[in-house]
Amino acid sequence: MPLRRLFALSSLAFLAVLAVSPVKNALRPYRSIQAQYKALGLARATSMKAASVYADRQIAIQQIWIPKFDNRVDRCTTCHLGVSDTVMAGAPEPFRMHVATYHTPGDFPRFGCTACHAGEGLATSKDDAHGTSPDSSAPMRPAAYMESGCGRCHQSETVDEAPTLSYGRATMAKAGCYACHAVRGHEDFRSDAPPFVSIASKTGGAWVEQWLADPKKVDPNATMPNFQLSKDDITELANYLFSLPVPPQLEQAVEQASAEPAGNSANGKVLFRESMCITCHTVDGKGNGSAPELNHIATRATRGWLIAFIRNPHAFNPKTKMPQYSFSDQDVRDLVAYFEDELRDFDAPKEILDPLRVNQTLADKGHELFKNYGCFSCHVGTERGGERFGPDLDGIGDRRASSLDFGKRTDLPHTLDAWLAAKISAPRSFADGLKMPKFSFDPEQRRAIVTALLSMSSAPVPEPYRYIPPQQASVVPAGQVGEIVDRYRCLSCHQFGSRGGDISTAPLTFEGSKVNRDWLVSYLMLPTSIRPLLPERMPIMKISKPEAEKLADAIETFYVDPSIPENPFAGRPAADADPKEGERLYTTLGCRSCHIIGSSGGYYGPPLTDTHTRLKPGWVYSYLMNPQKWRADIRCPNYGLTDTDALRLTAYLETLVAAPAAPTATAEQRSAR
Amino acid sequence: MNASAHARRFLLLAALLVVLIVPGCHRAAHTVAAAPPRPTQYQVEIGRTIYKHDCQACHGDTGAGDGSNSFNLDPHPRDLGDPAFQKKKSDADLADAIRRGGSGVGLSALMPPWGHTLNDRQIDAVVVYVRSLKR
Repeated sequence: MPLRRLFALSSLAFLAVLAVSPVKNALRPYRSIQAQYKALGLARATSMKAASVYADRQIAIQQIWIPKFDNRVDRCTTCHLGVSDTVMAGAPEPFRMHVATYHTPGDFPRFGCTACHAGEGLATSKDDAHGTSPDSSAPMRPAAYMESGCGRCHQSETVDEAPTLSYGRATMAKAGCYACHAVRGHEDFRSDAPPFVSIASKTGGAWVEQWLADPKKVDPNATMPNFQLSKDDITELANYLFSLPVPPQLEQAVEQASAEPAGNSANGKVLFRESMCITCHTVDGKGNGSAPELNHIATRATRGWLIAFIRNPHAFNPKTKMPQYSFSDQDVRDLVAYFEDELRDFDAPKEILDPLRVNQTLADKGHELFKNYGCFSCHVGTERGGERFGPDLDGIGDRRASSLDFGKRTDLPHTLDAWLAAKISAPRSFADGLKMPKFSFDPEQRRAIVTALLSMSSAPVPEPYRYIPPQQASVVPAGQVGEIVDRYRCLSCHQFGSRGGDISTAPLTFEGSKVNRDWLVSYLMLPTSIRPLLPERMPIMKISKPEAEKLADAIETFYVDPSIPENPFAGRPAADADPKEGERLYTTLGCRSCHIIGSSGGYYGPPLTDTHTRLKPGWVYSYLMNPQKWRADIRCPNYGLTDTDALRLTAYLETLVAAPAAPTATAEQRSAR
Repeated sequence: MNASAHARRFLLLAALLVVLIVPGCHRAAHTVAAAPPRPTQYQVEIGRTIYKHDCQACHGDTGAGDGSNSFNLDPHPRDLGDPAFQKKKSDADLADAIRRGGSGVGLSALMPPWGHTLNDRQIDAVVVYVRSLKR
């Protein structure tokens, strides 16, 4: 009897075990979710036909399988059933239609869901799929940092339709993150931090100490972060910096300059304005801000150093973006006299520029600190210069939250994004003895940087899924022309193909097809404001006529685009070159909202009064046909003009020449405008 | 089975159906009414980026029509924050004005058409951002 009972019980237990799986399956949440979707679809459908689609739905797991993309199996659509269903626009989650992006809805089968959103694609329960536990190997990317998903495949610095990611990447480069942290694709990155070679002849001990305590407080444009140094650290580091020998030729140049007679401050003021220094620098916050603030420049460097530096900045810092203006000796003395009169900190202690008397023991300690804080990562040209001091960041976006050291930060949620955000706002708050300096990012920058960091994967996506936009050929001239380009640092602002700075909106890649040679020669010698609304304008660098001619000839010969016709009217009927029709178009299209002709119109775009002198007709026509072809961020909208209309407008604009009565403005008059 | 049993069963079924369907309809009707699509942060960001780049010079930081280039323009740029204007124009109206410009919708040609520069997705994002400028 007990045996039979035992048998019966074990049979029952066996049956129960057998039943577990089907029961569990029947109770899985996605089944009820699919039923809800069906009901919602039936309620929202506007036709019988549309409703029948929902009525016929079978309850089943849905999946997108992409063997070639890391063998991705994404079952997200098991619950997110409405992602490509227009009926579900604005529906409650999980049924809502996916927001329109470049890839949606067409590319779901190509990339699946987890390629952008991360998460555990195979899972069919919400918590597992979304990876909400700190142990999850694949937590979903939080909505606030969604664009990090774009950055997994799109590896260029700027990614179209991903503004936060692009801003994050740009901010990281500007802050010099890649100088300390190795990141795939940034192996060649070098910081713009200046070498120290002339520091002892440039400034005083008190100034250096002030700077080391908080660079941003001295100069809001400073890219150097705050190393949160103690008073002793600061003294020791300052002693080390002043112990570095100044190369004799630089020391001599500074000494000689300091013995020169005083300049004329009033002349210097005029010269300062026309030199358009705020194209890169700022004065009281006004200007571009990619170079130091100048409001206290005379408190920052000695008179002798300023004179010697402005005369030949490249001798002091071969990597500086600052052009070598062709000032006369007197010009530079005048400029510095103006600095000393007006651009100084009147509250600064008198001895701020006094040289520091080096104590060798302190200097040795400072040398240790220098190595200990990894200063050499940014300040290349020193011992171990350019070596990456911080940890690699490849794969930082794939770190499990459970593998992160939150240390003292018990206030943070245990997620990767919270950890990263805290790390970049208060790097040393996690434990004692950490070395990463403090940057002063605003909340928008922080979010952008976390987005960029989350896009850094441990392994690159498979090749066919990687997108790197084609690089434009960047031919930088060699020889004499190359020397001119280097001397005036054209590439600090302008672009040749994919190379160069971003201060100017005028790439030089096809400049030869764009502007007339004679205009270019006079513009190089005495630039006028083409877009008066911008603080960034071409500086008057006093380029000599032979230099300007050489440069203009090289541009005319090499920097041309074969798709821009020499004569756009060739082989066209005469009616296509009718300026009267073009003038009518100019009015009806509303060009005058941005452009000035004569005295009427806006000044958002370049004035067109003298188009004929400046621009070649082939360029005007090619530009009108598609402005964004020449630079993606051109603000002039594409009007979708027909060929004929573009030609007629070109014909009209080409009739525009400056009134002959207008005298040639002198440099002073132009700069006063 | 007799007729009354049939009728009883039919009634029972009908009652059951009513009990099942009515709350269902109620919930469905509720969802449809609450349907205006909520813009995502991504859309707002795209819209804001484009607005800053292409619209701000005339329409101004806050959409008040006081951008740096606005005083050159007659008629003056539209005050996009005006609640009456926001109420009057549907999303489709706004998208159309952006796409075809002022002359395309019978207004001032000084507002250029953006349909050849921005795609539909970008224009929708600008509309989303313009909505956020409502005072």
